[in-house]
Amino acid sequence: MALVLENHRYDADRCIRCGGCKWVDHIYMGHPRWGVKCPSIARYLFDPYAAYGRLQLALGLMDGELEITPSFVDAVFQCQLCGACDVGCKRNLDLEIQDTLMALRQRVVDKGKGPLPGHKKAAGNIESTWNIFGSRKKERFSWMPSGIQPAAKADVLYWAGCYPAYTQSETAQATVKLLKAAGVDFAVLGESEWCCGQMLFTTGQTELALKVAQHNIDAIKASGAKTVLTSCPECLTALKVEYPKLLGKSTSDMPYQVVHLTEFMEPLVKNGAIKLNKPLPMRVTYHDPCHLSRMSEPWVQWEGTRGQYGVLQPPKQWRRGTNGVYQQPRNIMGAIPGLELVEMQRTRENAFCCGAGGGVREGLNDFALWTAQERLTEAKETAGTNTLVLACPHCKANFTDAIKKSGDNMKVYDIAELMVKALSQGKEA
Amino acid sequence: MSLPKETIRALESIVGPQYVSEDPVVCQVYARGGYGKDIVLGRGNLKPACVVLPGSTEEVQSIVKLANRYKTPFVPVGTFWFNSCGPYRENVISIDLKRMNKIEIDDRNMYAVCEPYVIFSQLQHEAMKRGLYMMVPGGGAQVSVVNNVTGAGYSPLNYRIGGPQRRILGVEWVMPDGEILKLGSASMLKEYFWGEGPGPDLRGILRGPQGWQGGLGIFTKAAVKLYPFQPERLVPTGISPDTTLELPTKRMRRYNITYPDQPSLVKAMREVSKAEIGAAITKVPVMWRYRARSTSKEHFWELWKGAKEDLQKNTETILLVVIIGYTSEKQVEYEERVLTDIVTETGGTLRRTKQTDESWIKNADSAGMWWSAGGYISVKINVDSLDHALKSGRDAAALKKKYLEGAVDDYGDPGWFQISSFGHEGYNEFLVEFDATSDPKVSHRIDNFYVDAVKQDVKEGCYSGMQMSYGPVGITGPAYGDHHILLKEIKEMFDPGYLSNPPRPFEFDEKIERECPWVKKDW
Ligand SMILES: Cc1cc2nc3c(=O)[nH]c(=O)nc-3n(C[C@H](O)[C@H](O)[C@H](O)COP(=O)(O)OP(=O)(O)OC[C@H]3O[C@@H](n4cnc5c(N)ncnc54)[C@H](O)[C@@H]3O)c2cc1C
Ligand code: SF4
Ligand code: SF4
Repeated sequence: MALVLENHRYDADRCIRCGGCKWVDHIYMGHPRWGVKCPSIARYLFDPYAAYGRLQLALGLMDGELEITPSFVDAVFQCQLCGACDVGCKRNLDLEIQDTLMALRQRVVDKGKGPLPGHKKAAGNIESTWNIFGSRKKERFSWMPSGIQPAAKADVLYWAGCYPAYTQSETAQATVKLLKAAGVDFAVLGESEWCCGQMLFTTGQTELALKVAQHNIDAIKASGAKTVLTSCPECLTALKVEYPKLLGKSTSDMPYQVVHLTEFMEPLVKNGAIKLNKPLPMRVTYHDPCHLSRMSEPWVQWEGTRGQYGVLQPPKQWRRGTNGVYQQPRNIMGAIPGLELVEMQRTRENAFCCGAGGGVREGLNDFALWTAQERLTEAKETAGTNTLVLACPHCKANFTDAIKKSGDNMKVYDIAELMVKALSQGKEA
Repeated sequence: MSLPKETIRALESIVGPQYVSEDPVVCQVYARGGYGKDIVLGRGNLKPACVVLPGSTEEVQSIVKLANRYKTPFVPVGTFWFNSCGPYRENVISIDLKRMNKIEIDDRNMYAVCEPYVIFSQLQHEAMKRGLYMMVPGGGAQVSVVNNVTGAGYSPLNYRIGGPQRRILGVEWVMPDGEILKLGSASMLKEYFWGEGPGPDLRGILRGPQGWQGGLGIFTKAAVKLYPFQPERLVPTGISPDTTLELPTKRMRRYNITYPDQPSLVKAMREVSKAEIGAAITKVPVMWRYRARSTSKEHFWELWKGAKEDLQKNTETILLVVIIGYTSEKQVEYEERVLTDIVTETGGTLRRTKQTDESWIKNADSAGMWWSAGGYISVKINVDSLDHALKSGRDAAALKKKYLEGAVDDYGDPGWFQISSFGHEGYNEFLVEFDATSDPKVSHRIDNFYVDAVKQDVKEGCYSGMQMSYGPVGITGPAYGDHHILLKEIKEMFDPGYLSNPPRPFEFDEKIERECPWVKKDW
C-alpha cells in the first residue's frame, strides 16, 4: 500500500512551525553552529528545505496552489528522509512527518515528475543485477574470508546487503569473523539475496520495491532462518519497516525477525560469549546512523479514523524514535579496554545524518558529500577526535567519499571492524 | 505578484544571487506560520514577492534602503513563531534573518550580544557554561532572543530577574528608512554593555506596548543581560520525547504544591515573594497535570473526559516553585525551610515531584499547547498586578462558557498565572484550545472570543497586555491613554511610507473591517 498524500493532510495542516523538526532538542542544544539537525535546511536555508516547509508544499499541491515545477521537485528530493524531523515533531505533537514526506515524494513520482535521473539509474542497476551498483550477481558473496564457511541452513541468516557485499566488504568480513568468534552458526542467501530496495522505497519507485520485497521475503522464508542479522541499517529498515508498511502489515506479522549486528552482539559481549579484551588506545566518536537509531522501531500497521480534536480511533502505537538502537553500540565500545568514546554535540536522536540516505547519495551526490563533511567537522570540533566509528556501511561509504574529496585526515571505522581489532588474541579468524 | 527585474537584480547584488528567491515554491512557504493561522484575525495569507537571506547588518541596511527607493514593503522574518511574519500586503520582500546567528558573550560583564537568529536554548547553553543564565520565554526556547526581548519577554524565571525591559542593553537597529541607529553604550563606545547610555536610549519606543513585530524596522543585534547562576551542571538525560534536565539538587529544587482553592494559592504566592525566596513560581492549570500523565493525545482525552465531574467539584490548584541556591547550598536549605513554613501556614500540601526540568530553564513546551486539540490561541495575556491577572483570568473563564462549542472545556480553570519582580508584577495567560479542522465556524467563534476578551479587560479595568499589540488598537487605544494615536505618530515619524511590515500595528482593525463580518465592530 503506497502512501497517499491526502491521508496526511492533517499532519501537514496542523504543523505549527515550531521548528522542532529542525532544531536539536532544546534540552540538548549547544552552540548555534550545531543547533540544527536537519541537513537540508542547514544547507539550503530557504524554508521549503525544512520539514515544515515541505508540509506547506504538500498543502499547496493538494489545494492546487502549486504545481510540480523543477524547484518543487528539488525541494522534495533534497532531503535524506533521515527522520530527525519526525522524531523532533513527535516530541510534542505526534504528527507523522516522515510518512508525509514520503507520500509527497510518491505523489511527485506518480505525476511523472520524479524520481531523479540518479535514482532511475540505481533502479536500473537493481533491476538488471539485483544490486544497486550494477555489479555482478554472482560476486555478491565473493568477499567471504577463506576459512569461514557459512552453514547450508541455520537459525541465523547473515544478510549482507549491497554495500558490504560490493564496496564496504571490510564490514561484511568483520561481521562473519565476529559470528565465528562467538560460535554462532549462520547461513547466507547467496545470489538469492537481492538489494533490500531501501533506495526504491524512499524515492517512490514502488513497483520495483514491491517486487524486490516479495522476492526477499520469500527467499528468507525458504531459508528457514528465524533471525535475519544485518550489519546495514538501511537493510534493517527495509526488512523491518518498509516491507511490512508496503504490504499493509506490522513488523510482528513478518515471517522473520531482523536485528542489527550491534543488537545481536551486545548481549554476547556482556555475557562473555565474545571477548573484546585487546586494548585499543584510541579516542573515538560515534555517529548514530539514522536507520539504526531513531528510525529503527518496528512498524505497527494502523487503520482507523480521526475524530474531533484529531483524536485517533483506535489509538495508534507511535514510532517516536525512543526505542531505537542507541545504547548497544556504546556499550560494546565501552567494553573495549583503552577505547575512549567522546560524544559529538548532536547525538542519538538528534544526530546529524551522514548525508547518504533518502536517495540523496544516488540522486544528489553533492549534497550527500556536503552533509558528510559537516558531520566530520563536527566530530573534530566538538568531540576533538579524528576517528569516527559508525555502524553502517552506507554511512561509511559516504564519509569515505567525502574524505577523498576534501583530503580530510579523518579515519572512519565500522564498529564491526573495531570489534575484530579488539578480539582476544587468537580469536580472530 | 512580482517585483521588477531591476529590484531583484539589485537584491542579488546585495546578498548574492543564491540568497534571493522569487520562486513560487519558496514564496509559498513564507505566507503563513502556525500561531494565529486558525483564526481569521490571526493574519493575512499573502505570499511575498521574494525572499532574501541577508548575512550581515550592512546587507539588511542595503535591502531596507532599496525597499525605500522602490517603495516596496518588507517584512523581517525570525523563527516565524508569530504569524505576523506572513505578509499582509502585495509585493512584499520577506527578509529571512536565518544567516545572522552569531553570539558573543562577555562573561566578566555578564551580557550576551545576539544576532536575530540566536535562539534561547542556545543562549542558555552558552550562558550556563559560564555560570550565568537568562530566562527562557514560556512560549518557546526556539524563538529569537532579539525578537523576544524587543517584543515579549515573559517567563516564570522573571519572578527573580524581572521584566524584559530591564534586560535589553545595547541595540543595533536598522530603521524603516535604512539608517542604522545604535542604542545605549553601543552608540558611542561600540560596546553593548549598557542600555541607558552614553548615547540615545529609545528602548521605550523600541518595545512599544508589546513590540512592533517588524513594524518599526529590523533589530540586527541586541545585547541582553545575563545573571549569575549556580555552578553545578544540569545534566540533560533521556531520549525523545522524554528528555529532561536533571537538577543538581544541592543547588536547585523543584516543588509541586497543591492548594484546596485559588485564594490560598494566591496567598502563598504573595508570602513567597514577600520573603524574597525562590527563582520561579507559577500557577499551572490542572489540565497540564493530566497532560503530563498521558502517553498520547488519545490517552489524555480518556483521562480528561473522565475528570470532568471530579474537577467541577474539586477546586484544587497547583503551584510550582523552583528554588536556586545562587550563592550556596545553604541558600537552598534556608529557602526550603521558609517555603515549607509558608506552605504550612497557607494550607498547601507539598507533593513529591521529579527533580528535573523540562520546560522552564532550557526548553519551553509551548508546542504542547496545540497538542490536545490541534488548534490553540491565547485570548488573554495580561501583564499587570497579580490582582488584575487573577481577575482577568476568572473573567475569561466565565466568558469562555459562551464559546465552548468546538473548544476544549477546561472546566472553569482561570489559566496560567505567575508573578515577576518578586510579586510586583502579575501575569495571566488564558488559552483556548480548539479544533479548527472540521468546521470554519469554530474559528469564527474564536475570533469573537478574542475580541470579546479585549473588551472585557477594558470594561473591567484590567490591562490587556498582549492585545495592546496583538488586538484591535481601536478598542485598546482609547481605553489606555489614547495610545493608538501615539502609535500612529511614532509609526509615521519613523516610517511615513508604511513600508515596514505594513499595516503593523493596525492590521487587526483592518482585518475586522475587511474580512471578519462575523465580528461585530461596535467601537
Ligand atoms: C504559542 C506562543 C506562545 C508564546 N508564549 C510566550 C511567552 O510565554 N513568553 C514570551 O515572552 N513570549 C511568548 N510568545 C511570543 C514569542 O516569544 C515571540 O513571538 C518571539 O519572540 C518570536 O520570535 P520569533 O523569532 O519567532 O519571531 P518571528 O515570529 O519570526 O517574528 C515576530 C514578529 O517580529 C518581526 N521580526 C522578526 N525579526 C525581527 C527583527 N530582527 N527585528 C524586528 N522585527 C522582527 C516579524 O516581522 C514578526 O512580525 C509566544 C508566542 C507564541 C506563538
Ligand atoms: S516540529 Fe512538527 S509542528 Fe513543529 S514545525 Fe516541525 S513539522 Fe511543524
Ligand atoms: S528527513 Fe532529515 S533532511 Fe529531510 S526534512 Fe527531515 S530532518 Fe530534514
